Amino acid sequence: MDKNRRTHKEAKVVVTGVGMVTPLGIGKEEFGRRLFAGECAIDVIKAFDTSSFKSHLGAEVTDFVPRDFISVKNLRRMDRTSIMSTTAARLALDDAGIKINEENRDRVGIILGTSFGATDVTVQFAGTLLAEGPAFVNPILVPNTVMNAPAGHASIELGFRGVNTTVTHFAVSAETALAYAVEEIRRGTADFVLAGGVDILSKFYYEALTRFRSLSPLDGSKEACRPFDEARNGIVVGEGCGIVCLESWESAVARGRQPYCEIKGFGLGSSPTSPTAWPDDPAGMKQTINRALENAEIRARDIQAIYAAANGGKVLDAVEVEAYAEIFMDLEKQPSITSLKGALGESFSSGGIRACALALSMGKNIMPPTVGLIKPIKPLGFVAGDKREMRINNAILAGISFGGTYVYLVFANCDK
Amino acid sequence: MNKSKRIVITGLGTLNAIANNIPEFVRALQEGFCGIKAIDLFDTAEFRSKNGGQIKNFTARDYIPRDFSIKRMSRADMLSFAATLEALRDAGLYPLPDLIKGKMGVAIGGGSGGLWEAESFYIEILKKGVRKVKFSKLSSVYCASSADRIASSLGLMGPKTTFMTACSAGATAIGYARDLIVNDHASIMIAGGVEPMCRITYAAFNALKSVDPEVCRPFDKNRNGLSLGEAAAVMVLEPLDNALNRGAKIYGEILGYGVTCDSFHMTAPDEQASGAVRSMRAALKDSGLSIDNIDYINAHGTATTVNDVMETKAIKEVFGKRAYSIPVSSTKSMHAHTLGAAGALEGIVCVLSLQNGFIPPTINYRDEDPLCDLDYVTDGVRYTPLRTVLSNSFAFGGNNTTIIFGKYAEGGVGNG
Repeated sequence: MDKNRRTHKEAKVVVTGVGMVTPLGIGKEEFGRRLFAGECAIDVIKAFDTSSFKSHLGAEVTDFVPRDFISVKNLRRMDRTSIMSTTAARLALDDAGIKINEENRDRVGIILGTSFGATDVTVQFAGTLLAEGPAFVNPILVPNTVMNAPAGHASIELGFRGVNTTVTHFAVSAETALAYAVEEIRRGTADFVLAGGVDILSKFYYEALTRFRSLSPLDGSKEACRPFDEARNGIVVGEGCGIVCLESWESAVARGRQPYCEIKGFGLGSSPTSPTAWPDDPAGMKQTINRALENAEIRARDIQAIYAAANGGKVLDAVEVEAYAEIFMDLEKQPSITSLKGALGESFSSGGIRACALALSMGKNIMPPTVGLIKPIKPLGFVAGDKREMRINNAILAGISFGGTYVYLVFANCDK
Repeated sequence: MNKSKRIVITGLGTLNAIANNIPEFVRALQEGFCGIKAIDLFDTAEFRSKNGGQIKNFTARDYIPRDFSIKRMSRADMLSFAATLEALRDAGLYPLPDLIKGKMGVAIGGGSGGLWEAESFYIEILKKGVRKVKFSKLSSVYCASSADRIASSLGLMGPKTTFMTACSAGATAIGYARDLIVNDHASIMIAGGVEPMCRITYAAFNALKSVDPEVCRPFDKNRNGLSLGEAAAVMVLEPLDNALNRGAKIYGEILGYGVTCDSFHMTAPDEQASGAVRSMRAALKDSGLSIDNIDYINAHGTATTVNDVMETKAIKEVFGKRAYSIPVSSTKSMHAHTLGAAGALEGIVCVLSLQNGFIPPTINYRDEDPLCDLDYVTDGVRYTPLRTVLSNSFAFGGNNTTIIFGKYAEGGVGNG
């Protein structure tokens, strides 16, 4: 085994760049401003007709001009997930002040998570094949039916050639990618790793979610996304891509960059759950949070902030609250908890965008509010109504998926 | 070297075109058995090719005891779960002791997942209209379903991840799983890959005209493309000291892996071979081995015109003059290209080669190609003791993974 391999005790991994294409804007200035102002990006879907469905809301990426970010030559070959990912990757590199060149390109990589991939292209390809026959399928579509297309396209457009991987695990795809990227920096296989997640809205995918009875309004009342609220009645689906740029602390210092924060550790776990159901018991969540705390070498009382996974779903939000209540209830000072999904909807690989937001939060010491939260399920430290200015030393980014998979990452402030 | 950080393979399981279990696979690899035959899973009349490496005689209940529900499982889920059970039995871990479930996880390389089932779902939509179709049939369509079903069926509470880097996914899953154990995120890992045959994937490769209408001939002058196959391939990985303490049979050791990216083209490999060269070098560096240590190379060897020349060039660049004295074979000539499972299946080939002291041949080879001038083991199986073997997996999107396995020896490789 490589003797230069370092453990987390020796290598400090920091976030030095963020890039995002989201329903709340593209790039950190617009996104940050609207996020901390408590804006909501959820509206009636415009990209396709929802009149035959019971749900009509979504959080769509709008006012996005890909040509501003991607060369025309490569753009022609890209699907929507690839366009968003390549844009977010470019923004993250720019934000981190990294220019790809001959010297560094083999040491820059990307690890991307996607929950459902290019649902638009896959349905188009399968539709032609099955309705018209093999002679009619378009070979140009093929590369984009594969989930690793976004990371591949990003590498071609931006020119980096280091570690390149795509992971999928439903709603923890992006968090899994982030955790893997942290280990790759610790392991020294790359100097810079871009990590995050992407998912898009498409009509067939939206219809599938309505048919799986996931979307608000499940109880027939007003359609809305209300994370942690007693009146929550289902998910509102979103889309977008968020990518952070990770590197070692030494590398950031040598380049004279002040990082947003450190990713201090993470925990991975699961609990036996039916693959299409959300876990109905907090045991797996608690176990994995404890693993994350142990890996980061901190205690529950060191956590000031939680970026929750709650998406307004009946089961997930209640069980997630239960897990935090059991871990943090006895503490004198409760951590502040927020969920961005009230503003951004549930994009499943939302962990990339939420990681970018948390990095901005830690840089500014501000927690954004949980949009849509009025009456919380339990009296925990929810941030609702308005943003909260507060010192954040350590924060948790929660990734929870149906099927019972958990990834919790510990972010730490590194300006102390 | 820290003994606790050595990760060994203690169980194997597979179903593929030439074997429905490991003992059959050991025999078939030595006999040079060709599993590429006429496909009868679906009608191939309209396709350029008619052949493929299909798993024969798979009835799930012959492999999966009635204690486990297979009701909602896709063919991919059933194949991977069947291979997992074989690997666990082989490792002496079945039935699974409750004590080890807490930090035992699953990492699977996926490909087509439940697309085979999705096809019949889609055909039903075309016939009856979307309102009349049960969407629950799509509950296993995504690749992450296989890892979820393995974990929930067995009651595992460790990490769960699915890799989606097409043809390198299985290899990356194994490398990643090793690191999860090294870094103490998991105690034991089930790692591998699964790829079911399906019409959509078959149509995609036919549309790209990358399939040989007959059988693939890796490294042959008149090679004309790959043959598609299906497989499930699973390994049980654990720390050496754990394996020694419980007196487990040790197949071999994972010495290192490397992941790189071409940043060149979505479906064509970089003819300069830079990505392949760097991935082999990264794996050598990770394993702390020199080029003199490698006794056999299990090639990616897809039999496409470009890959085989590119891979040959890459091996020569990495190994210099020694390239000519290292046997290189492509077992895809026997079991076909199993895409998402390929890296894991060929990983098993490597481990079996190490354990049994044989080099499996490249079959279907007839005419020498001046551009492919290495020793491709075209004259049948060779019996020779092996210490370390290297396996290449290169994929769409320019994703390259190389993994190095070693025969287990008490003091580490070279001391045995």
